Amino acid sequence: MNSLDVRGMACPLPVVSVKRALESAEGELRVLLDDGAPRENVRRFAEGRGYRVQEEPLEGAFAFTISGAAKKPEVAASERAGATVMLIGTDRMGDGPEELGRLLMKNFIITLVELPELPDRILFINTGVLLTAAGSEVIEALEALGNRGVEVLSCGICLDFFKKKESLAAGGVTNMFTIAESLLQARSVVRL
Amino acid sequence: MVKDGDYVAIFNSVHRVMEAERLLKDKHLKILLIPAPRALAADCGLAIRYAGEVRSEVEGALAEAGLLPRDLYRKSGEAFEKIEGEL
Repeated sequence: MNSLDVRGMACPLPVVSVKRALESAEGELRVLLDDGAPRENVRRFAEGRGYRVQEEPLEGAFAFTISGAAKKPEVAASERAGATVMLIGTDRMGDGPEELGRLLMKNFIITLVELPELPDRILFINTGVLLTAAGSEVIEALEALGNRGVEVLSCGICLDFFKKKESLAAGGVTNMFTIAESLLQARSVVRL
Repeated sequence: MVKDGDYVAIFNSVHRVMEAERLLKDKHLKILLIPAPRALAADCGLAIRYAGEVRSEVEGALAEAGLLPRDLYRKSGEAFEKIEGEL
């Protein structure tokens, strides 16, 4: 079995390393990784590509056994052709008074819940992550979107920058690798 | 976003609804500014949602500040019942 140690690596290196290893490896891959974002991101990445992930807790870390070659390793399920990705790079909508911008963004996200057609994935970056962290007024709406199959992901670096890493209240954490890949592989990108 | 039994207050201008939101939040009342449900006509497209438990506090605060809504509705099943003459 091939093995890989990504402990101590900063985002998005764990996912990048695992991706490379899976592309070149035959059979199972064993990965040693840290808890938190690397553990979540690598699992999401591998499962999104159709692999099975078995987890084993180790002292201060985790070991994943990744097996079962993906049917279409080049395209993740959530990044299939036709995916609509929404990139929210701000906690305000439009230019103008701050208060109005915040109100419009909140109104926009709550309105999405009522629509029949939804994006496959919403990526929150920069001050956009303030919308997914505790204290945001759209958590209930984001949870409702999640329950309807929309993948809600926040940029880990951004959460860290705003000291909101511990208070993420809706969806998961992602990295620039996934963000860049999602944008490039999406059929349409809606940017706010 | 609006559950059975919730109240939805419709205001006649964006400034009034924003002022009302600010006032109620300052009083730590559990309310949410929401897009007005399609079924309810609202000039500015915004409404304030709150549950029955905080109704008297919310409406008391709004009345005191001269910010009573134009219309008030209560969600009942799939429909919105208009609350008449109680404000």
